[in-house]
Amino acid sequence: MRVRHAVIAAALVLGVSGCGLAGAQTSTIVGKETMIVGVKIDQPGLGALKKGRNEGFDVDVAAYLARKLGAKNVVYKETKSAEREEMLRQGKIDFIVASYSITAERKVKVDFAGPYYVAHQDTLVRASDTGIDDVRDLAGKKLCQVTGSNSWRRVKEERKVNVSLVEMPSYRECTAKLADGSVDAVSTDDLILAGLAGETGTSSVRFVNAPFTDERYGVGLKKGDVAACEAINRAISEMYLDGTAKELLGKWFGRTGLKLTVTVPQFEGC
Amino acid sequence: MTAPPLTPAPGGEPQATAAIAHPQGNTTAVVGTPPDPMQSLAPAPRPARAPRRRTVPGRIRTQAAVCLFAVAVMFGGTFWAIGNVRDGLSVIGEDAGPQVVATADMYFALSDMDAQVANVLLIGRETGLGTGKDKAVQRYEQRRAEVGKALLLASDLAMGDPTEKRTVEALLNGFGRYQQLAERAMLLNQQAAHPAGPPPAQVISVYREATDLMRLDLLPKAYNLTLESGTIVRQTYEEEYLAINIGRIVVGVVGLGTLAALVVIQVFLARRFRRVTNPALLVATVTVGVLTVAAVLLLGNGAEGLRKAKEEGFNSVLAMSRARAIGNTMHGDQSRYLLDPERADTYEQVYLDNSQKVLFTPGGSLDKYYVGVDKVVAAYPGSIGFLGFHGDEAGSVMNRPDEKAALVRVLKGYQRFQQADRQMRLLANAQKGAEAIGERMGDLSRGFQAYDNALVDLIKLHGGTFDEEIKKGDASLGGWDWLLPGAALAAAVLILLGVRPRLSEYR
Repeated sequence: MRVRHAVIAAALVLGVSGCGLAGAQTSTIVGKETMIVGVKIDQPGLGALKKGRNEGFDVDVAAYLARKLGAKNVVYKETKSAEREEMLRQGKIDFIVASYSITAERKVKVDFAGPYYVAHQDTLVRASDTGIDDVRDLAGKKLCQVTGSNSWRRVKEERKVNVSLVEMPSYRECTAKLADGSVDAVSTDDLILAGLAGETGTSSVRFVNAPFTDERYGVGLKKGDVAACEAINRAISEMYLDGTAKELLGKWFGRTGLKLTVTVPQFEGC
Repeated sequence: MTAPPLTPAPGGEPQATAAIAHPQGNTTAVVGTPPDPMQSLAPAPRPARAPRRRTVPGRIRTQAAVCLFAVAVMFGGTFWAIGNVRDGLSVIGEDAGPQVVATADMYFALSDMDAQVANVLLIGRETGLGTGKDKAVQRYEQRRAEVGKALLLASDLAMGDPTEKRTVEALLNGFGRYQQLAERAMLLNQQAAHPAGPPPAQVISVYREATDLMRLDLLPKAYNLTLESGTIVRQTYEEEYLAINIGRIVVGVVGLGTLAALVVIQVFLARRFRRVTNPALLVATVTVGVLTVAAVLLLGNGAEGLRKAKEEGFNSVLAMSRARAIGNTMHGDQSRYLLDPERADTYEQVYLDNSQKVLFTPGGSLDKYYVGVDKVVAAYPGSIGFLGFHGDEAGSVMNRPDEKAALVRVLKGYQRFQQADRQMRLLANAQKGAEAIGERMGDLSRGFQAYDNALVDLIKLHGGTFDEEIKKGDASLGGWDWLLPGAALAAAVLILLGVRPRLSEYR
């Protein structure tokens, strides 16, 4: 009996120390049969809810990525900007594709795969306003300022362009007001503007096509799921190599005259 | 002890314990059955073999067989676990690890090509600026050759992976197109023979095509290849690390089981034959004991070495190589900012974004960023007030004085580089184009070089840790090729030698 006890004790000692070392791997969402994806429902072209169906570029990208990760079903869930990190942390959603920019501050709380697209801040003006080629030509014009958004600062404060601000509750409103002349320019992420322009009609507005920031749209993941991050990066590479990305960008933003990048972005790293 | 109802577990412990514990009521009926013929007869389908089992030579044979089997399992387990250490070292040390360095160098060379083209276009016909136009052309050509070599290597290494292979192919095609565009821009520039500053529109428009191809298409692909190699290293590391630790447990448990079996047979022989020691079996026991301890220690060291190579060497080499790659594109963006006034805003913004990837401190504009950098660099190493690549590095070298000192030099270099950048932009904004170009080619260029050199030194330190651990791991495995089979074979022979004289007494 003594021998057996010794064996068991030794096995336990070795086992416990071994487990402590082996336990470094965290759980991953790779291979889940049903994936819950966080998307937006109020951004036409990117993530919108139309007649009970989620649609948009982000939604299509999410479906492609989920399939590549091995999922058979995808469930979309609305994620508001303020609750994204918390929903990932609690595991209420598996990943986020919702014009979610990668920033150093957010990276402290969540992990990012991608970016799957690098959007740029650009400016939408009336098609008839041919004199605007660059953000500095906005001097003296009426720029829309959306409550809670910082995009206008990049024009007025960082570029020190002398614009007058017109406050509006949303970018949708801003775009709609271009037509009647109550604003002259709307400036924010080009994909968001392209989606809105697609809704209001693309013939009356045009892009200045003078991008001045990089907004790296990443796939948000629970902190520590490196395996999923790497698998998604690989899937994004494939999405660009097999032409899906080009097709999806064309499908959602092709008619707007926006200059689209159809080659794989530089990843953030996992 | 081989009758069907008593079929022993492969480890040989059940009958070992039964033999020592006998007679004991609380052992389970199946395992601890005393040699009572009536009990085992009841379910036994082959009663004819039952009597043989209970003879003394039969028991010696069975116990010796159990010991030999245990030694064989021990040998197999150790062999497998050591194989994992070897695989881990080879993938990390010889395949993916060096590939990371090779692709990071390729990124650097690509990015520097584009920066040199921008310099050539910016300098124009001027001769007294920095190291001059000819030097820039030379460097462009040198980098071009480096990229060509790195691409060949990358396509070799990407053989097994279809996605990687297509990425390398796309890179090869794009690289050819880039050279055409860049060389056309330089030719047009030569013909224009303009003074230092922005070249004619025709030159700029060709360069834009070239730099867009480089920055939006080629550089991301090269960067992603580096990351992909990092992924392979991480996955290999985690798999092998886990396997080595499982192997360590298996070797430890099987080793103890073997020892137990050897003790049992010796106790049995001592009681039966009234001899206190059996020298051969004693030596076999010591051999197995030493082998078990040595193997467990070796595997522990192997796992730790792999961990150190990965966490303290490789991770930082990868991160700092990425920081270096991005730093080089930032330096290029400074030339592009001066070269193409229409896109100056974009290049400035990209410069800020990249700066924040390298060293993050809050602030939405360059003016605020410069102030932030001055503040956090002055506070380091007292406090780590920044994120980004250098922030992560600061966190990981906390307890490593050499690396920490090297990081201080990197940060100071970065700060001076940013200060020179500020100077250049101030001059450019004050419409002093010529002075701004002078700053870019002079102070700023030297500042960048100093920063980059400090970064290279830091990478070398981590690379040293990496190489050292890989080498140590390889060296520690060296003797085991003959030591392990030798020791196992010796133990087996000793067991046979130990039981042979006892068995011969029954002939």
